[in-house]
Amino acid sequence: MKVSRCILGLFLIAFLSQACAFSRGTLGDEINADAIAAIKKGATTQAEVLHLLGAPDRLMQLNGRDVFQYYRYDAKAGSLLLIILNFSRLSMKSDDLFVILSKDGLVEDVISSKRTDGIKFRFWPFGQ
Amino acid sequence: MYKSVIFWLVAAVVCLPSFGCNVVRVSLNTPLTPEDVAFIVPGDTTLTDVVTKLGVPDALTDSETGILATYRFIDLKYSRVNFGWLAKPWTPVDPDLIFSRTGLAVDAFQVAFDPDWVVQHHAFQRRLSMPPFYPNPF
Repeated sequence: MKVSRCILGLFLIAFLSQACAFSRGTLGDEINADAIAAIKKGATTQAEVLHLLGAPDRLMQLNGRDVFQYYRYDAKAGSLLLIILNFSRLSMKSDDLFVILSKDGLVEDVISSKRTDGIKFRFWPFGQ
Repeated sequence: MYKSVIFWLVAAVVCLPSFGCNVVRVSLNTPLTPEDVAFIVPGDTTLTDVVTKLGVPDALTDSETGILATYRFIDLKYSRVNFGWLAKPWTPVDPDLIFSRTGLAVDAFQVAFDPDWVVQHHAFQRRLSMPPFYPNPF
């Protein structure tokens, strides 16, 4: 009885999700949260940052200080294809991490945010 | 008789815009509004305050007076109507009569910091109103 209900449920889901398309694209690897937590301001060195996170995606000079930038992009697209009327929506967000190094080669500041957690598959292109 | 003709004409006019219609939207990051950045007080707010409220900027660049943080966001709206769909049931060929329009709203919010990471000034690069879904290209 349970098996037949499961099969029926699967068929229902499969039937209702016809004419839908889900796509996803990512750029870069996930930035390791444990590695970010391991970086201590005023104590961690440049070499340790490189060991923990690898080479940065971008290296900048800001106000005489080196800044390592790490980023990752995530995109989710949902489409509803109703033959004569199609809706699509692509949402893209990024995770960024900036490690600011002092002239002594020690970490001065770390700023990071994870925006990709809130990204969802959406079909409806209207509104926010 | 007339009533039924009028009914079908009205129905055709109402349904016409949805024939062969595509509506697409692409967004990068969540657009910031002037209300979102109202908390920033030049000479008082620091980088930490800005990052706590708005998240990490997309770019940090050097300037002569300090550091410039940039938050970028894009909102693209595309709509397309193919009126050729109306003729499809009656023709052996696949006719197309396409009207489409793309509206790209690109904006950025820039915050300038002094060397001690205190906000000096801030501004939107260009305040674009969000483009509507409007397939008429003329």
